[in-house]
Amino acid sequence: MERRRQWITTHEWMVKPTAQTEWVDGQGLLIWLAEVFSALGMGLYLVALFYNNWWGQLAGWFIIVGLKLPFHFFYLGRPWRFWRAIPPFTSAWKTSWLARGMFFTLMYSAFALVQLITTYQLEHNLVAASSVGMVTAIDWVMRFLAGLFMLLTGIYCGFAMSYCKSIPFWNTGMLPIVFVIMGLADGLGLIMGVGLITGGVDFHAIESASRIFLLVNALLISTYLINASYQSKTGEYSVKELLVGKSAVVFWVGVIILGIVAPMAISVISLYAGELSPPLLVLAVLSHTIGAFSLKYCVLKVGIYRPVLSKLPTF
Amino acid sequence: MRYGMVIDLTKCSRCHGCVAACRVEHFLPLHVTWVKLIAYETEDAGVVDVSTFPVRCNQCKEAPCVDVCPTGASHQRPDGIVEITASKCIGCRYCVIACPYQNRTFLSKELDPGYFPGHARTRFEEKGKKLYPHQRGTTMKCNFCLERIDYGMKNNLKPGVDRDATPACVNTCQARALTFGDLDDPESNVSKLLRERKPIQLQRELGTDPSVYYIDGKIGGKDNKAPASAQTGSHIQHLSSVEARAREVFPHLKENK
Ligand code: SF4
Ligand code: SF4
Repeated sequence: MERRRQWITTHEWMVKPTAQTEWVDGQGLLIWLAEVFSALGMGLYLVALFYNNWWGQLAGWFIIVGLKLPFHFFYLGRPWRFWRAIPPFTSAWKTSWLARGMFFTLMYSAFALVQLITTYQLEHNLVAASSVGMVTAIDWVMRFLAGLFMLLTGIYCGFAMSYCKSIPFWNTGMLPIVFVIMGLADGLGLIMGVGLITGGVDFHAIESASRIFLLVNALLISTYLINASYQSKTGEYSVKELLVGKSAVVFWVGVIILGIVAPMAISVISLYAGELSPPLLVLAVLSHTIGAFSLKYCVLKVGIYRPVLSKLPTF
Repeated sequence: MRYGMVIDLTKCSRCHGCVAACRVEHFLPLHVTWVKLIAYETEDAGVVDVSTFPVRCNQCKEAPCVDVCPTGASHQRPDGIVEITASKCIGCRYCVIACPYQNRTFLSKELDPGYFPGHARTRFEEKGKKLYPHQRGTTMKCNFCLERIDYGMKNNLKPGVDRDATPACVNTCQARALTFGDLDDPESNVSKLLRERKPIQLQRELGTDPSVYYIDGKIGGKDNKAPASAQTGSHIQHLSSVEARAREVFPHLKENK
């Protein structure tokens, strides 16, 4: 029977586990991309800062300013009002992770820009001898501030999601940690890509760090899933969706095989084979990146609401 | 002062009157409903039936949607009503995600194609656009008909008692299943009902402290089924979304081709 009624319908979805769609389907894909670029940008910038790689820092900054921010902007229903979410135009930062995140990202963008300029000047001896001391001091302050706000930018995405009690799978303090660790592992992958193009990267050191981060990541993800499935019925449902449901292919192929197993295998090969061949390095960079896209997609996709009537006395 | 609503599930006859009243009151776009009846399957001695719950924004005292809103567009008024200032909303949809009751809707173009898609707007719609200009690209939800409450307060009327100051759904409910009033006033109708009957708040354990309460203490089961005498048009209507079951209950239903 064709349903002719347009609007007097009885809603059954509130008593069944229903996935959120606003942040992953349709226009919501922009949020997915913005989230991925938050992780990749943060990972690459922080790793490049640690290894003192200017090109990596530049690429990380570009990922945040040129990709993450525009994707967020175009997702908004009313993009030109974006300034309303930025302190001092809002006081919502006291409770809203999104307002905080906006602030962190903008602070990072500004500090990192200054840092990129000062580092470039210092590295290319463009500073007058009398000003070297001052520019070096500015550079270090900017490095510290940009690094701090970059870390906060990477972390807020996780907190914004973990704040939502409506979605038990996200509602855990482990989510921001998983996002940051995975982001750093991806940053290690991306810096190898930067090194392939510009040189000046110690692939051995990166591979060693990568092994540790990937291992920690695998442990964190397993703990996360076990934790989520014991926490609530809806959490368990999300985990099932991830492991054997509609998102299983993306999870197993994207997150586990390409995001963790393949880079780990390449990393182990480098342990025995010494110098890695460029094709293997490219493979490592690609698999890391696909892993990052897959992880965020899966986590957003299995964000399932607690059914409204799940906890009533008759249950 | 904190406005709230008490819903008597033993009285609700699933007529969808509240849903319709809300749509008309607020000129809601075609695919948007603020008040909903949610279906809940019950089984009693092997007989499966469907109970329904009228739900709307709970105007939570500790509202997560207000906490997450980055602009302050979602805010709580001193009378407890959670209001969205559309002109401040950037359409980030964080509140849609954070509401544990799934009571918020993001108004996209697809949800607002006009009452007769592909045709010119009706005069009713044109009027609605002026009186209640819903903004695409922002979120919306039930607001306890705050325009009525504000009107009532200006004119010395009592919300929940005087019709002109009372939400449209409450006025419309033919079974008198909805009661509205000030939860902080011990003498209000809602406070009395809460004292006398066993009230339930939805997902109370989340700490949101909803201002919408349900009374009878039992959800589903034989105590919350429409009485046989009420199993008429409205009952068919809500069962018709679950066609197979509707045919079991009403075998004489004709095929609607
Ligand atoms: S029911 Fe949802 S939209 Fe309404 S106040 Fe509570 S959290 Fe906010
Ligand atoms: S969609 Fe609008 S009301 Fe909702 S959180 Fe974003 S700015 Fe606030």
